[in-house]
Amino acid sequence: MTAVAADHELGPHGEGGWRLLIRAGWIRAAWMFCLFGAFGFGLVVVFRWWGGWHPIIDMPIVTLVSLLVAAPIGFLAGIGCFDYWAYYALGFPTRPEDHSGHGARTWRDYFRVNTDHKVIGVQYLVTTFFFFLAGGLLALLVRAELARPGMQFVDTQTFNGLFSVHASLMIFLFVVPGFAGLANFAVPLMLGAGDMAFPRLNALSFWLLPIAGIMMLSSFLVPGGAFACGWTGYVPLCSTHEPLGAVFFNQGVQWAGASSIMTALNFLVTIITMRAPGMTFWRMPLLVWANFTTSLLVVVATPFIAGSQFFSMFDHVMHTAFFDPNNGGYPLGYQHIFWFYSHPAVYIMMLPGFGIMSEVISVFSRKPIFGYRLMALSLMAIVVLGFSVWAHHMFVSGMAPWLRVPMMITTLLIAVPTGIKVFSWLATLWEGKLHFRTPMLFALGFLSMFVIGGLSGVMLGSVPIDIHMSDTYFIVAHIHYVLFGGSVFTIFAGLYYWFPKMTGRMYDERLGKLHFWMTFVGFNVTFFPMHILGTEGMPRRVADYAPKFATLNMVSSIGSFALGASVLVFMYNIITSWRTGEVAPSNPWRAMTLEWQVSSPPPIFNFDEIPQVVGSPYGYGTPGAQHAILAPVRTGTAEEVEVT
Amino acid sequence: MRRGSIASLLLIGVVAGGIVAAVALALPWLPTPASREAGRIDFVTWFVIVICIVIFSIVAAALVYSIVTFRARPDDLEDGPPIHGHTGLEIVWTIVPTVLVTAIAIVSAIVLSRDDALGKNVLRVNVVAQQFVWSFSYPDAKGLTSGTLMLPEGRSVQLRFTSKDVIHSFWVPEFGQKQDTVPGLHPTLHITPDRLGTFPVICTELCGLGHSVMRTQAVVMTPAAFAKWLKQQTAAISSPNPSVSGAAVFKNNACGACHTLTAAGSSAKVGPDLDKLPAYAAQAKQPLDSFVRESIVSPNAYIQPGYSKNVMPPTFGTSLSKPQLDALVQYLVSSSKKG
Repeated sequence: MTAVAADHELGPHGEGGWRLLIRAGWIRAAWMFCLFGAFGFGLVVVFRWWGGWHPIIDMPIVTLVSLLVAAPIGFLAGIGCFDYWAYYALGFPTRPEDHSGHGARTWRDYFRVNTDHKVIGVQYLVTTFFFFLAGGLLALLVRAELARPGMQFVDTQTFNGLFSVHASLMIFLFVVPGFAGLANFAVPLMLGAGDMAFPRLNALSFWLLPIAGIMMLSSFLVPGGAFACGWTGYVPLCSTHEPLGAVFFNQGVQWAGASSIMTALNFLVTIITMRAPGMTFWRMPLLVWANFTTSLLVVVATPFIAGSQFFSMFDHVMHTAFFDPNNGGYPLGYQHIFWFYSHPAVYIMMLPGFGIMSEVISVFSRKPIFGYRLMALSLMAIVVLGFSVWAHHMFVSGMAPWLRVPMMITTLLIAVPTGIKVFSWLATLWEGKLHFRTPMLFALGFLSMFVIGGLSGVMLGSVPIDIHMSDTYFIVAHIHYVLFGGSVFTIFAGLYYWFPKMTGRMYDERLGKLHFWMTFVGFNVTFFPMHILGTEGMPRRVADYAPKFATLNMVSSIGSFALGASVLVFMYNIITSWRTGEVAPSNPWRAMTLEWQVSSPPPIFNFDEIPQVVGSPYGYGTPGAQHAILAPVRTGTAEEVEVT
Repeated sequence: MRRGSIASLLLIGVVAGGIVAAVALALPWLPTPASREAGRIDFVTWFVIVICIVIFSIVAAALVYSIVTFRARPDDLEDGPPIHGHTGLEIVWTIVPTVLVTAIAIVSAIVLSRDDALGKNVLRVNVVAQQFVWSFSYPDAKGLTSGTLMLPEGRSVQLRFTSKDVIHSFWVPEFGQKQDTVPGLHPTLHITPDRLGTFPVICTELCGLGHSVMRTQAVVMTPAAFAKWLKQQTAAISSPNPSVSGAAVFKNNACGACHTLTAAGSSAKVGPDLDKLPAYAAQAKQPLDSFVRESIVSPNAYIQPGYSKNVMPPTFGTSLSKPQLDALVQYLVSSSKKG
């Protein structure tokens, strides 16, 4: 990894002995993890002994309290997430302007609590990419098992665990936080701000993520196997018929969800209060708009999935009966609460991608974004409508039948603002000067694939069609066209687009294009046949299927391995370019937004002086148009902030 | 816009539409309907597919045309024209999709209400789902129970669902209709079969380890054949000394969905291999007869190494009658000794 500067001698290294043990870092994280874990264990034992319950050591409760709740808090405390707040609360001297934990000078700075939004953005992206690889490998195992009818490699418990953990990792540890990582890097720069509004909260929200991801992955090691009830965790299957691994999912979602909520609050406050002078709402780049609307969704919706997972977990470990019909519970209640988050979550996983698309398409078409205000307003329309469609996941669930038609109408109406965005991007391309660099290829790939996913979504919005298609491979095809053809393509576009800004080096264009074409072809070969499998009668989430579906499944499996190979090309490109790529200029794409007006990578505090925004971020084609006026760069003067 | 560009845009659009339409027509999208509801669902599906093909063709044409026509040379550093929007165009692409989705909503709502409307002389069937077995009973025929769904052609059928454990979902692709079975609720589903044949009944809601084998069949027969079947079966259950066959109990409770038993022609591997029962009984150090009985009534009492607890439903002890249980145990003991 590259560092901004190489001031090794200033780093706090070279101390030894017991100071290493108590200084914030990995060593303290290790022993505090154990200490808090032991405390959780003790708490359970004392309470059970005191209450006269037997056995005193009950493994499910111990695992939950000690391993999944207390120990992670110990880890966070040890790594240093709470130091400042703890000092403040305990009355120790604190320095609000303490920048010792800010910025990256060596690669080591990426492995500690860091308050620099650019470092956190990279931390987010590398972490989420690790879980993308893990989730992808699980998917390849699923496709290997499904290549032929019959059972070949795994048993059904493992198989159900594979696709459940695959989906949870991809959703909660890749797409949602992946976008948060890109936005973390780009949004403060685009606003002309020095950092996020709450840098310490920002650091904490990152460190919650690895906890959530490792929790979900490690459920494979639990006796009885990983959670195997799908990422939807429907009750009563997940609450009362599953091994202990289900609790790892319930609790993993809490950590990831808490991270999401903190980040979203941070974005909202940053966007509302920290825009540079002159940056009115109608002068914000659409990526900022997209993250503003996404954050609104996250803040309102995420507590609902937290509630659903808590109740499901209580049913599991404490034998409550929130969803147990034998004791007055209501299983469909879970689905309503779950989808009240998880449908807006679809937009949480899509709107930031829309923002990336607007940036990339405008820059590489050398034209202003078409219909800027309607683009922003349609984002808001999706937010509002997005909360009124959740029960379209439940058309066959047995809920009140009258709910179906209203939910169908709102669902179909969401196609309108989404359509506005697609048509506006097409109009932006029209008569432009198109440059097919890798981000643009992914953007155009997104545009075509997302339209297919959107149209199959319109089909599923119609109740009679949905009754036939629900829970079949058609659904699997649809969500992958939306979340892979949609979200993942935009994440790749964003990664290539901001790679020069993040690392100060250019990626290899030839390898980037190779990666795009392998992804595009592999994606379609993998997921298109699933449409047909589903309509013809293959249900989803099955380890085995009727022999008549063998050919298409084999095609799909071959495609998935090509898709897996494409990721290797991407990794090779990113790793080699990061180390030895061509040095990037400050503005390789000739873009107008603010992040491209500073050096690559940007200075530790982003701007020497806060810029003055004077116009649209998309003034392409107008001679002399400016988005913002920046103070001339001064180097080596005494005014530069002294950082240690 | 130049006239030439409109012509080539149209051409690309027609070609794209043609290709997509050809793909849509050539591929076997939907199973041949075997119920009136499936026929109507087919109609809505094609109605929406046609709209989708038109929209996709427009997008594809604009995209392909732009990629071909507006490609810039790498050394071309000029910008495109500063077009910021066009109010008329933006109104058009807001209104037209609104009209289209409204049309889809109206057609869908009409089809939905017709699919749900019961006909005259409704045949009622109670469907019980449990891990990983379907059973169907006919309340108007003295509660006759069958492991296969037998239906007469042309008669309105109302299925009423009960789940004994978790959520399952009833689906026959050829009938088009689907319904989740939720413990504690009793949702219904309406089907009017209109084609003779045997069709798969599939569980489409993940229900545990045996989800992919929770299958049975639906048989649509002529009304005369159905009446005859009903008469035979009810006669059998109402005779004073019903001769219970263990093989029938095995089949009607779908034991073969999870277990291998050569005598019954099943080769599933979710649960232990029943051909090896004598060996298992020896491992459990119990006499074969009582071992088999205990394993059916309380499956968690002894778990064969390599298999998991709580997979087999613990409900057979109550759902099977004493003669049925006796016959099943006898059948398993004798079949496994032969195997």
